Amino acid sequence: MTEPAPVVLVIDDEIQIRRFLRAGLELDGFLVQEAETGADAMRAVTLTPPDLVILDLGLPDMDGADVLERLRAWSNVPLIVLSVRSNEAEKVRLLENGADDYVVKPFGMAELLARAHAAMRRQVRATSGEPVVRAGPLSIDLAARFVTINGERVILTPKEYRLLQILAQHAGNVVTHQFLLKEIWGSPHIHDTHYLRIFVRKLRQKIEADPTQPRILLTELGIGYRLALPEPARPAVV
Amino acid sequence: MHFDTVKRELRGIALAIVLIALTTLLADALVHYLGIRRGTVIYLLTVLICGWQLGLLPALVAAVAGVLGSAFLFYNPNAQPSELLDLALFLIVALVTSHLANSMKQTTELARKREREMSGLYAFSRQLAAAPSAAEIYRAIEDHLATHAQRKVALFVPGAADSSKEAGKEADQGGDTAVPERVRAAITEVQGGKSIEANVTDDTGNVWHVRRVSQRTPDFGVIAIDLGRVPANEAADVHQRVNDMLSDAADTLERLDVAHALDQAKMRSETELLREALIGSVSHELRTPLASILGAATVLSQSPAVANDERLTSLSGVVRDEAERLNNDIQNLLDATRISREQIKPRMEWIEPSDIVNSALERRRRRLNGHQVRLDLDSNLPFIYVDPVLIEQAFAQVVDNAAKYSPSGSTITVAAKRNGQGLVLSVADTGVGLTDEESAQIGERFFRGPRHAATTSGSGLGLWIAKAFVGANGGRIEADSAGVNRGTTIAIKLPVAPNAPQQETDPDD
Repeated sequence: MTEPAPVVLVIDDEIQIRRFLRAGLELDGFLVQEAETGADAMRAVTLTPPDLVILDLGLPDMDGADVLERLRAWSNVPLIVLSVRSNEAEKVRLLENGADDYVVKPFGMAELLARAHAAMRRQVRATSGEPVVRAGPLSIDLAARFVTINGERVILTPKEYRLLQILAQHAGNVVTHQFLLKEIWGSPHIHDTHYLRIFVRKLRQKIEADPTQPRILLTELGIGYRLALPEPARPAVV
Repeated sequence: MHFDTVKRELRGIALAIVLIALTTLLADALVHYLGIRRGTVIYLLTVLICGWQLGLLPALVAAVAGVLGSAFLFYNPNAQPSELLDLALFLIVALVTSHLANSMKQTTELARKREREMSGLYAFSRQLAAAPSAAEIYRAIEDHLATHAQRKVALFVPGAADSSKEAGKEADQGGDTAVPERVRAAITEVQGGKSIEANVTDDTGNVWHVRRVSQRTPDFGVIAIDLGRVPANEAADVHQRVNDMLSDAADTLERLDVAHALDQAKMRSETELLREALIGSVSHELRTPLASILGAATVLSQSPAVANDERLTSLSGVVRDEAERLNNDIQNLLDATRISREQIKPRMEWIEPSDIVNSALERRRRRLNGHQVRLDLDSNLPFIYVDPVLIEQAFAQVVDNAAKYSPSGSTITVAAKRNGQGLVLSVADTGVGLTDEESAQIGERFFRGPRHAATTSGSGLGLWIAKAFVGANGGRIEADSAGVNRGTTIAIKLPVAPNAPQQETDPDD
């Protein structure tokens, strides 16, 4: 490798979780830093700005949401939240407050890495200006506003394109209903989830091989949508 | 009542005349044998007794009769004026004495009555103070009115809102407290809040006083007291007494009510705290190590040493699968607690039905690895208005059961269909099936058929939780089986709103 290894900061108070995260992330080529508390984390972030943050919400000294807020005040670092199930409202709130994605405990390493890489790629795309996003047979040229499926052009209405565009910009990561609704229809409609349902159904009919079993435009129940990315070309992870 | 008074007075007068006659006989004997010249004083004694025991009117009669008697015995017809004066003086003394005696008696009687009432009220308030519940207070009211006021009483307590309970309450006071129709109407009126009290005369001429137990609120019930044939002037007195008694009772009822509510709130919040703590600690203490186990297993399987050895890969797969199963069991326990606490609050939204099916299948992907899954999803299903997370969890549970109770390699058919006014999400397996008896019991909490328990592990909570989640969304779960070893079909039936958003009503560009 010519590039320096990316630095990941793991913020978690459970030593066993940190241990397996360290092992998994190092195997994936990361340089791992650890923080046990929110205060530790803030210190670590300022000393060595990381390329990725993995934040557990249950910290002993401060609420994970507070750590996120403080961090986002000055850093745009890709950030994945480790959450517990059955609290969709909290997940949505964290995503709205700047988390790039979440995984629900317990989770497999592969799932976490996929989310993390997607978030990091977004950062790279934003800086390098790479205009084309690929998701399976789907290709979205954000500069030319040109969408193809298996090389064939797909005709989309402006709103359909806008929906796909936002998802492509966050490819691999979840985008909340509220965010999509606000971006496409404006603030007064952030609760009109059925607008999205109708559009997503139409969009799937245009881009999915079988719209009833989508492979590209995935639903995160109670949260939002995710544009699936092809599995990264690296050793297969369970 | 009035008639009784006249009768009593007449009897008194008759008795007074008899007494004076006896006195005259006695005085006559004294005059005859002892030669007493002035025996008028003896009559004074009799008048006094009459005044004391029989009342003013008999005393008056006795005085007049006494004057006549003593005049007959002790005075000769050509009496001196001084003797006449004597006689007049006697009459005056007799009248004054009898009046004094009578009013003294009345005062004493009043004092005694007051004392009785006071001790009654005192006993009543002691009973109230010691009453631990509203029921005790109502019993005290009845007791007090029955023993101290000697009235027939009927109490109508709310909370016993249905008429059967009211009837039962009446029966408690004995069969003779049948409440006449007219009184019943008044009770309903007072209960309904149209007035605070009413006085009704029934068919037999008895006056019933109907009023709320508390002047402030109708919540504490209505009481009906049979006052009998009471004249208007006495009725006011009785009302006052009833009023005093009930205001004490109402105060106690209010105090109890507030105390009870406070108690309940305190108990609830304590139980709640305990539960929160327990759930929090179960969730954290069990899930954190599980997260480590599962995470570590996935990292291990990825390391070259394990990844290149099939046996080791399958072992790490076992660790992962079992950790996932354990996690599901913990989730089931937490969900069961949530259901018991009635804390299922669906977050409804419009959702694509196939999204729920796909998400549940994705979640159970590893569990379904050994089975053939056949998908049969209608395109263009109506959107449904449900909590997608709850329905997905319920559906995943049904899928899990199908995988659990059917042999590896068999086919599981997952379908989503429109069915009349509803939507059906179903999972059909070719597994152990259900007997009629099992079909009836399936979905009950902790139910596991003996055949199921013999072959697979489980808590019997899964389908019960699924049922509760589906129920919270206005749907239901149905189980169907052709019989033992002939497979099971579990269907989640959900309502489709008539105003479900359609493509035609797009908020398009």
